[in-house]
Amino acid sequence: MPENIGEFVFPGDVVRDLKVVNGVILRGPGLHSHEEPNCLLVTRAGKLCFKPPNVYWVEGHFKRYYPKKGDLVVGIIKKSGNVCKVDIGSSEVASLSLLSFEGATKKQKPDLQVGDVVYAKLLSAHREMEPELVCVDSYYKAGKLGPLSNDGFVMNVSLNFVNRILDVNSLLLRALGQKYVFEIAVGMNGKVWINGQRTIDVLNLMNALLAAERESNSNIVNVCRRYLT
Amino acid sequence: MAKQFKSLHPTKFYRDYLNQDIRPDGRLVSKFRPVIINIGSIATADGSALVRIGKTTVICGIKAELCPPKPEKPNEGFLICNVELPPLCSSKFRPGPPSDLAQITTRFVADLILNSGCINLKDLCIVKEKLVWCLYADIICLDHDGCIIDACLLVLLTALKTVRLPVVQYDAAIDKKTIDASVKKCLNIYNTPVSTTYAMFEDKIITDPTTEEEEISSGLLTVVVKDKELCSIHKPGGSPLSEEKLYECINETVNHADLLITLINTAVSECNDDNKNC
Amino acid sequence: MEVESNVNLSMREVNCKLGMFTRPDGSVFISQGETAVIVGIYGPIEVKPHKILINKASVETHYCPKSGMPGIADKLCESILHNVCEAALASALYPRSSIVIIIQEMQNCGGIIPCAINACCLALLNAGTDMKFLFASASCGLDDEGNFHLDPDDLFLETAAASFIFVFDSIGKGLIASHTSGSFNLAQYQSALELCKKAAEGIFDFYKSTIKKDLKDKI
Repeated sequence: MPENIGEFVFPGDVVRDLKVVNGVILRGPGLHSHEEPNCLLVTRAGKLCFKPPNVYWVEGHFKRYYPKKGDLVVGIIKKSGNVCKVDIGSSEVASLSLLSFEGATKKQKPDLQVGDVVYAKLLSAHREMEPELVCVDSYYKAGKLGPLSNDGFVMNVSLNFVNRILDVNSLLLRALGQKYVFEIAVGMNGKVWINGQRTIDVLNLMNALLAAERESNSNIVNVCRRYLT
Repeated sequence: MAKQFKSLHPTKFYRDYLNQDIRPDGRLVSKFRPVIINIGSIATADGSALVRIGKTTVICGIKAELCPPKPEKPNEGFLICNVELPPLCSSKFRPGPPSDLAQITTRFVADLILNSGCINLKDLCIVKEKLVWCLYADIICLDHDGCIIDACLLVLLTALKTVRLPVVQYDAAIDKKTIDASVKKCLNIYNTPVSTTYAMFEDKIITDPTTEEEEISSGLLTVVVKDKELCSIHKPGGSPLSEEKLYECINETVNHADLLITLINTAVSECNDDNKNC
Repeated sequence: MEVESNVNLSMREVNCKLGMFTRPDGSVFISQGETAVIVGIYGPIEVKPHKILINKASVETHYCPKSGMPGIADKLCESILHNVCEAALASALYPRSSIVIIIQEMQNCGGIIPCAINACCLALLNAGTDMKFLFASASCGLDDEGNFHLDPDDLFLETAAASFIFVFDSIGKGLIASHTSGSFNLAQYQSALELCKKAAEGIFDFYKSTIKKDLKDKI
């Protein structure tokens, strides 16, 4: 076990004595392979985290999204056509075929305009290629994926805040849900789509999320309460 | 086969050569290229020189003009350097405004001349607050094959040593300049800064790199010395370098500098002899 | 040897503020004495077709002076910043994209290059762009009597016999960049290098404490 789990690491540091399961170490963002065995090179500043049995990553405050296969993201259509170009906040626009919606055929396709918002899944993300989005799962069912209503509002938050919103133990969404009825789509790319019954509700929810981003987990509910009254 | 290998894996191509302690052009790792200096190549200029380091060729012409000095420095003349890297010298450069490299080299060479104190701008003053010499030094690269800073500095220094300025009489009362072209004076050059460039390739230091070597290298280092003193150690980024290697490079430059200075002096003195004969 | 008391070993006060802009991925305001710069980082973002590199990200640096267009002196400064950042960034991770670094000079009272280099490193840390190592820059000046002065301001530089700017990496403390002006001997260069290396250690500690303070509430 490395000694510095939970401590701050900086680019250039080397994490040693990693736990290997069947010759494999799973590494998340901010860690890269190193010449020596059982060692990883840190490339980002943040807190070194570990999840048993062999998963390591660096947690920091990042805004720029880097596509990962299988991520659920919120995207904005930049160019329509048979294959739409979708802005997901990464260095390259992603492509989304209109045929990759549930029940779509050549004659019957969803009508997507520039500026529409979609909730989609990354089918492929390789650094040499354009990321590709789909709005169906592996059984060709839409599930929760697909176009999002134009009544909603999209905001950008930092990437680690997304993980905090989605954390099953997080009280944030539960606290907000006590007061408002709303829909939310949280993309792993830092884009969050919110829709409520009234515009003022959406604005309040947005402010609550923005305020919560700056607060620690323990304080988060208190902050939300301010916006609930 | 070698040609294909080189274009497919340029880095590996060089690594294989360097592992045998030799470079693709047949030089040893720490061997300099031959230097050729030619003087007085431009007859219409007040001083000129042409320098070749290997295939790198630069030409410098110095034109002198009379002008009033700046009010804040009433007894100082001007030396304005300009390095041009025209599209002719390499396919890297496009026609149009000066490239970044040309601007950086211009600035670096101009800084070096000022820092080294090799010429005193006060020598260029004719009448205080009224009239000074303004020297325009235009350096044009004809063939770019690495070590452009070394070549520019060498050609500029040589050209400065060949500058002959006529004696000027100035009558302030009626603002009349009388130029006596029959008597020409040399410029005082107080010291001779010379530079050498090194390229870092993995853990090796390559002396006097060509363009190809500069491109695959992970960083460059230029050492400028004058009379056993250091004038500039310029490493504009690139991979980290240990101190021992840096000091090795400095020592090598100090040794090589003697050779270059002798070369400049020989060229200049031969030129002077010719002038006396005619 | 010089008298120890004549050597000014303390740096000017360094202050910084992280992430004060919302649009860039990373931003920092840093002041070193009276000298101040702002750096913003975007990246990796979409690359212009003529700058595309298929094996790594293209690093673009833009140095904006306080007023007017960048001059020749600013280009030299920009090229040092570009080369230092390019050496430190793990750009092979982001092929066919670009990392844009914008440096805005706010006030130059001497030592703008070291200040801008340190600002770039902090901004890259703030943006979370992958880097191979950290880098820190320190400068020192040499007066006519052979005394060293760490982190000189413009008043000192006007009369200085020589001035040195060094950039070090955080792993082997190797020399990434060196820029000097004036003339000096080898022994003076060596002492300047040692002096700045010690100062750079302090800057690395400053980076670490700043980032820790910044991230404490956010994660």
